[in-house]
Amino acid sequence: MKAVASRLRFPGFAVFAALFALLLSPLLTPSVKRAAGFLLARGQAPAPPSIKIVDLIPASLSGESNQDSEPFLAIQKDNPQVMVASAFTPNPFSLTGNAPLYVSQDGGASWALNAITPVERMTCDITHAMATGESHPRGDLHAGTLDCSSGVTLDESESNDVVSSATMNVQSTRGNVDQPFVRALGVSSGDRIYIGVNDFNRTNGQTATIDVSVDGGATYKSVPIEMRKTAGQDGPSVRPAVANDGTVYAAFFGWRKFDGKTATSDVVVVRDDAAATGANPFQALRDPSDRQPGRVVVKNASIPWSNAPALGQERIGSTLSIAVDPNKSAIVYVGWADKGNKGDIYTLHVRNSTDRGVTWSKADLPGTTIHNATNVALAIANNGVVGFLYQQLSGGRWVTHLVQSHDAFTSSQDAVLATVPADQPAEQFLPYLGDYDYLLSVGSEFRGVFCANNTPDFADFPQGVRFQRAADFSAKTLNDGAGNLVPISIDPFYFSVRVIP
Amino acid sequence: MKISSVLMRSSLWGAGLLLASCAYASLATSQATDSQADLMGKSSIVFSGTVSQLAATSFADVPKSAQTIVVRVDAILKKPAAVSLKRGDSVTVEVKDASAFQEGAHATFYTTGWIFGSGVAVKELGHVLGNAAPGAATGGSAHGQEQDRLSDQELKDRMNASDCVVVGRVTDVRKWNAPKTKSGSPLHVTEHDPDWHEAVVEIQSVLKGGPVKGNKVVVRFPNLNDVAWAHSPRFTKNQRGIFCLNRDKATGAPMTKLGSKEVHVYTCLGHGDTLPLSEEARVRALLKNQ
Repeated sequence: MKAVASRLRFPGFAVFAALFALLLSPLLTPSVKRAAGFLLARGQAPAPPSIKIVDLIPASLSGESNQDSEPFLAIQKDNPQVMVASAFTPNPFSLTGNAPLYVSQDGGASWALNAITPVERMTCDITHAMATGESHPRGDLHAGTLDCSSGVTLDESESNDVVSSATMNVQSTRGNVDQPFVRALGVSSGDRIYIGVNDFNRTNGQTATIDVSVDGGATYKSVPIEMRKTAGQDGPSVRPAVANDGTVYAAFFGWRKFDGKTATSDVVVVRDDAAATGANPFQALRDPSDRQPGRVVVKNASIPWSNAPALGQERIGSTLSIAVDPNKSAIVYVGWADKGNKGDIYTLHVRNSTDRGVTWSKADLPGTTIHNATNVALAIANNGVVGFLYQQLSGGRWVTHLVQSHDAFTSSQDAVLATVPADQPAEQFLPYLGDYDYLLSVGSEFRGVFCANNTPDFADFPQGVRFQRAADFSAKTLNDGAGNLVPISIDPFYFSVRVIP
Repeated sequence: MKISSVLMRSSLWGAGLLLASCAYASLATSQATDSQADLMGKSSIVFSGTVSQLAATSFADVPKSAQTIVVRVDAILKKPAAVSLKRGDSVTVEVKDASAFQEGAHATFYTTGWIFGSGVAVKELGHVLGNAAPGAATGGSAHGQEQDRLSDQELKDRMNASDCVVVGRVTDVRKWNAPKTKSGSPLHVTEHDPDWHEAVVEIQSVLKGGPVKGNKVVVRFPNLNDVAWAHSPRFTKNQRGIFCLNRDKATGAPMTKLGSKEVHVYTCLGHGDTLPLSEEARVRALLKNQ
């Protein structure tokens, strides 16, 4: 069976589809529109963006059928042809070798696997960022990884060259923490690194913490950002966001009650105006209700917690994202999920602030209350356009959306990146798709990663898709490159989308 | 007489020399075979091939250096099932000593993986110059090693790191709840919560480690299907097998009650820490050869 080269269907198909959609849109139901993969515009009709989607699994690993879930992405902003992605991908050649990263040197057109993380075989959490302060054109990659081979150990590590075979250099390590989330900013004096962690070493239950390094990871300082009484801990997600002027925000779930099934939680945002270099970082924002550091965006949200499949085959409990305008640090957006209305399993919300987090929109921004969805990821482009990535369980399918808006979602443009069966393949472990996906902006593009069923079927990828691995789009099957069939599994997908004007 | 004597002595000397050289050759062959077997055990990808380029790479993602050569694959001897590699493919090999190779040279390469992109790049652990050994395979999935089976070297390392290795049968499985903390004390809720369970293992023989009092051990294992524990063994009642055990350093409560006795708790967390009984001969041989 010969592998069939995949194809991109833009721009020709997209132009035709967009014109067709505009003509027929009033006559079609939303589900038909989604199934057809049209670009859905609400409030405006911009030109269709150029969209590129690539399955990250390389051709030489066509025989793999792992659940490569929970993707992440880092872009070398000085050299954006170089990117690093990750997922729960095991070392492909050794049960005791290093867990791998995906590396692209051509702007995401192709990806290769390089086993250089400091973790054996497979990480059980990994995020990373590439800063530019140390002038390594294929670095500096700063990663936060959890090694779960015996207990749970956080490694904060770096690579100066992600193509080299050198194992990443571990700069700091400790146990008893959860869900490291890395952001970094390169400045002339070096790399500033911010790693959100849920740190169980804090005995007072105020576990939301940012590990801060302002010297490229040579030293880290753990900064607690929760100042209020908790139910014994905060939620797992602690998310920093960094603006070019050194303003650093972080969002977290302040758990006020927890009964094993539901966390009654505040959505809290903290801010630092000096890159967290001062004596008391992240105390610039105080809530008017109690004068404590940390602005409460939403109080007592009811957040379901399930370590078993709850939304399709996915678990739920802690999706959270924050994004700051890189050039106007007063503008900041937060997205999270909670129980929502009666009958919902998990509902996304997005709100914003235009005054450095002091006041927030009182209600969800238009069109951003998304039912039965997870994996919110927000990013803001250089021109102020906001990108809103999420995955929604709809009609038995996982549908991955990227919504863009230049006016706080008064108008927006929604592109369906993937719509895949939610019941196939069967989960190998949790998370099924990931506890997060990711979105970044660089130049005039949004770039991101999500995970999905990897059936080679153009109907599942309305914007087109390119598989590196051996795939037959006619037969909708995968093979190992030698003609032997390979089962469908979860793969990570990279995408880039042109930012709307 | 003198001539005969000289001839006789020469013949004896010659025969002795011949025998010695045969013995040496046999020993050398044996050592080479042992060495190749050892290399085979340590390698994840083994193939024979023809050097087609020096100081070159076979695909763009690999950094080129004086140590990288391109080899056209003639036959695959060993590879993971996930890796696509077949006869005729070009592989980049980072060799230890590039001066040992010339274009057109044939060799068997014992390697470990390096970069996997549009092609395969590997690192040399060893090589044997010359055409492939008789019976060398010609590629295809039939020669892929079982993806989840530990290599001899990996299994040796696992057993070296274990406090004990036992053959036994699981007689009971039960949920284990960590001792209750005081009201108001910190929680520890994460998506990686292991949901600890305990298995009581009746020991039939101890392959490594000292005798066990009462002939039973308690093994704590994660029962949650989180990624952190995706490769950790689960236990079921009446399961028989070989278990590589370590004293419990993961749960924070390293002792438990077994009957009326306070005993050490063990864990068995790594992939391949439980093996089927069919692996017993292999395990014993590896332990013997340590």
